[in-house]
Amino acid sequence: MTEETPAPEDDAPASETRRNVLLEGITAVVSFLLIAVPSTLAGVFFMDPILRKRKTAGGGDDMAGFIKLDLTADAVPDDGAPVAVTVKSDLVDAWNRFRDVPVGSIWLRKSEDGTIKVFNSICPHLGCSVNYRRSENDFYCPCHTSSFSLDGEKTNEVPPRDMDSLELRTATDGIPSEDGLELWVKFLNFKGATTEKIPV
Amino acid sequence: MNALISWLDDRTGIKGLMNEALYERVPGGARWRYVWGSTLVFTFTLQVITGFMLWSAYSPSTRTAWESVYYIQHEMTMGFLIRGIHHFAAQAMVVLMAIHLVQVVIDGAYKAPREVNFWLGMVLMMIVLGLSLTGYLLPWDQKGYYATQVTTNIMSVTPGVGSEVQVLAQGGSQYGHMTLTRFFAMHAGVLPALLVAFLVLHIYVFRRHGLTVHDENHAPTTNFWPDQVLKDAVACLIVLAVVMLLAIFKGAELSAPADPAVKFDAARPEWYFLFLFRFLRFHAVEAIGLQFGAIVVPGLIMGVIALMPLTHKFLGDFGHTLNKAFIWLLGGCIVVLTAMAMIEDSNEAAHQAALAEAHRDAGRARELASGPDKIPVDGAVELLRRDPFTQGPRLFAKHCSSCHRYNGHDGRGSLITEKTEAGDVQVLPPTAADLGNFASRDWMRSIVVDYPAHFASWKNANWYKDAVKAEEAGEDVLYLDPDNSEMSDWSGLPEAITAPENEENLKAIVEFLYAEAGHGFQSASSENGASKEALDAALIEKGRAVATEGAWAGDIEGTSCADCHTSLGDDFAVTPDDEADGYPTLAKYGSAAWLKDFIRHPGAARHYGDKNQMPAYSPSQLTDTELDLLVRWMTADYLPSDVADYPDRRQQESTVSTDAGNSPPAEDAN
Repeated sequence: MTEETPAPEDDAPASETRRNVLLEGITAVVSFLLIAVPSTLAGVFFMDPILRKRKTAGGGDDMAGFIKLDLTADAVPDDGAPVAVTVKSDLVDAWNRFRDVPVGSIWLRKSEDGTIKVFNSICPHLGCSVNYRRSENDFYCPCHTSSFSLDGEKTNEVPPRDMDSLELRTATDGIPSEDGLELWVKFLNFKGATTEKIPV
Repeated sequence: MNALISWLDDRTGIKGLMNEALYERVPGGARWRYVWGSTLVFTFTLQVITGFMLWSAYSPSTRTAWESVYYIQHEMTMGFLIRGIHHFAAQAMVVLMAIHLVQVVIDGAYKAPREVNFWLGMVLMMIVLGLSLTGYLLPWDQKGYYATQVTTNIMSVTPGVGSEVQVLAQGGSQYGHMTLTRFFAMHAGVLPALLVAFLVLHIYVFRRHGLTVHDENHAPTTNFWPDQVLKDAVACLIVLAVVMLLAIFKGAELSAPADPAVKFDAARPEWYFLFLFRFLRFHAVEAIGLQFGAIVVPGLIMGVIALMPLTHKFLGDFGHTLNKAFIWLLGGCIVVLTAMAMIEDSNEAAHQAALAEAHRDAGRARELASGPDKIPVDGAVELLRRDPFTQGPRLFAKHCSSCHRYNGHDGRGSLITEKTEAGDVQVLPPTAADLGNFASRDWMRSIVVDYPAHFASWKNANWYKDAVKAEEAGEDVLYLDPDNSEMSDWSGLPEAITAPENEENLKAIVEFLYAEAGHGFQSASSENGASKEALDAALIEKGRAVATEGAWAGDIEGTSCADCHTSLGDDFAVTPDDEADGYPTLAKYGSAAWLKDFIRHPGAARHYGDKNQMPAYSPSQLTDTELDLLVRWMTADYLPSDVADYPDRRQQESTVSTDAGNSPPAEDAN
C-alpha cells in the first residue's frame, strides 16, 4: 500500500455514511458466513466421537455382555492368592474388527467362603495397573502408591474408591450353573479419578 | 471496547494494519472482475479447514488409507461433506486459478513492474497442481492409484534424473506404505507451507503495486472496504455454495481399494488433466516420445507463459497481443482436447464397461466394509479378493466365456465379439448354455419342458458341426445332440408334460429340482418378507415324488427322471466311472458340490462321459480357491448385494450387431 492512500474518514462524505453502514453490515454478515459455515461443519466432524451413537449391548440373553475366560474355576488357588488373567474379546476399533484379542486384564481371587471375586486391574486413581504385592500381601499401584486389600478395599487415601469389582458367572457350556467350572466375566472399564464407579 | 482496541493498537499497531488491509484504494470503483484472487484465497482457506479435519481421521498406509477414508466418508458425522468440500474445492481452485491467469494475461497485469508477482503466481500455480496430484493418491483407491502411477512413470522419463526422482517420490522402487507417508507429508505439510509463504509474498507484492486497474473512469475511486470486499465475499459465497452443492449431490468418489493385481481399465486423471492425457494419446506425439509429450511440451508452455513479461518488454503492444493470442489458443486447445477425451470415453463401450465395473467394485467394497465383520486387519483389498460376487464374474470371463455366456455377456458385462473379414464387428453366438439363470426355476423348467431349445447353443460349436458332417458321411459318431437324444425324446413330449392334469406336477418337479441345487438366494428374504426365490416345502415333497417315483398323470404316468438318473434325490457323491448309471448324475444337480465336481471332471462317466465337449479344469488352470469363488458366485453363496450388477445383454446378443462402437474387442474374452 502506498503512502497516499487516504484514511477512511477523508473520502467518506456524510451523504454516503448511511449507505456505507448498510454495506458494511451486509459485508460483515457475508464474510462471517464464509468462515462460519465451513468452521461449523469442521466442528461437527471433529465432535464425531461424542456425537456417535453408542451401540447398546445386546440384551435378552443371560450371558449377553459376559466374556468367557481361559481360566476355569478349579484353577483359582484355594489359599486366596490372586491370579491375573487376560481378558480376550472382539475389539471394534473404528473401521477394523479384531477377533479375539486382549482387551484388558483382571485379578481373580477366591475368598474364604469359596466365592471368587474379580477386579479390573486398572487403578481407579489415574489408570495405571494395580499389581499384587507379595511382601505386603495386598494390591498396590506403583504409579502413585495406591494400595488395596485383597478384597479390593482401598487402604490409603490415594485412590478415590475401592478397586472396581466385576460381575462373574460360573457356567457349563455357556449355560449359567452354580457349580459350573467355566468363568464368565462382564468386563468393563470405569472412569478414573472419581469416587463413583462409572462405566466408560 | 475502544479502550481495549487502543491498548492493543498501542502494543501491536493493529489499527494501522487493518487500515492498510481494508482501505486499499480501488480506482475506477469496485468491480466483479477483481474478485478472482480473493476467491482463490478463500478456497485455500476452505482446504485448510477441511484438510485439518481430514488429517484428524486419515491414516496413511496401504492397509489403512482406503479404510480410514471409507470411515470418514461413510461412517463419521458430516464426513461425506468435509471430504466432499475438500474434493470439490480442490477442483474449484484449479478452475479459479485458470480464470485468474487468463485475466492477468488479458488485463496485462503481468507487465512491468509486476513481473515478479506474475512469476510468484506461477509458482503458486505449480504448488496447487502439486497439491491436487498428491491428494489424488491419498485415498489409495483404484482410481487414484492407477492415475498417479501414470504421473510417477512420467516423472521417470525426466532426462538424467528420472528414475531417482521417481524412487524419491514413491519412497521406494514401487508403491507402498512409504509412498503414502511421503505423499501425505508433501500434501499436508511441505506444499501448504510453501503455498502460504508464496501467497504472502504474492499478496505483499500485489499490495505494493496496487490493483491493475481495468478502466479508471468506470466509477469514482473507492476503498477496498466495504465495496470491493462485499463483491469478493459474495463471489466467495457463490463458490462455497457450488462446492457444497456438488459435495452434497454428487459426492466425492471413493473407488475400490487399490489392488496392484487388479487392472483398472477405467483409469483416467482428474478431469483438469484430461487434456494432457488426450494429448499423450496422439500417436504422432507418442512417436516423438513420452519425454516430448509429457515433459517438453508442458515445459515449453510454462516457459512461454513465464516469458510473457519479457515478450511485452521487447515487443511492446504487439507482444501483449501475442501473449493474449497464446493464452486463448492454449485455452482453446485445452477445451478441445478435454472435450475429445470426454466424448471418446463416453462412446467407447470398453471404457464404459470398465467404469461400470469400477462402480460395482466400489459399491461392493463399501457394502462389505460396512458389514458385520467390518474390515479385516489385512485391509479392505482382501474383502474384494475373497468375495465371490466380485471374483466370480472375472473368473467366468477368463475361463468360461469363450463358450458360455452370462445373461448374454462375458460375465463382466461385455459382449463377445469378433471382427469379420469385412471389418464389421459381430457378436459371437455362444457354443454352450447361457449360465445367467443357472439352476434357477426357469433353468430347471426349460430343461424339463424343452431340452432341445435349452441346449440349442451347442449347435453353434464346431464339434457339433463336424459331428453332423461326419454323421451325414455315414460315420458312426457319438456326440451331444440337443435334438436327438433320449432326453430330447422325453422332453419332446411337452403336450403330456404341460397338459392341464400335469400342471401342478410340473410346478412341483421344478420346485424340487430348484431346491436340490440349494442356492444361497433361496434362503435370502427381501425387505417385504419372503423373496420370490424362497422355497415352497409342500411343493418340493410333491416334486420329489414326481421326479423319483413317476407320479405324473396321463401319457407319462409311471415314468420318472430317476428311471435314468438313478441318483436323483440323493446327496451328491463322486461315483467311480465303472459304477455310473450311464446318465448324467442329477444328485443335488446345480449345487456347489455338483458344480465343483462337474467343472473338474465334465468327462467323467457320472457327467457327460464320452460325449463330453467341455474341457476339464484342473487345479493348475483353476485353483481350488478360484473354483470355490466361481462356484459360490454361481450358486449365490455370498453376502447379498444391492450394488447394480452387470447389465443383462441377452437382447443385444441375439441381434447380430454390426455396431462397432458397442462392442469391445474379441480378445477381451479368453
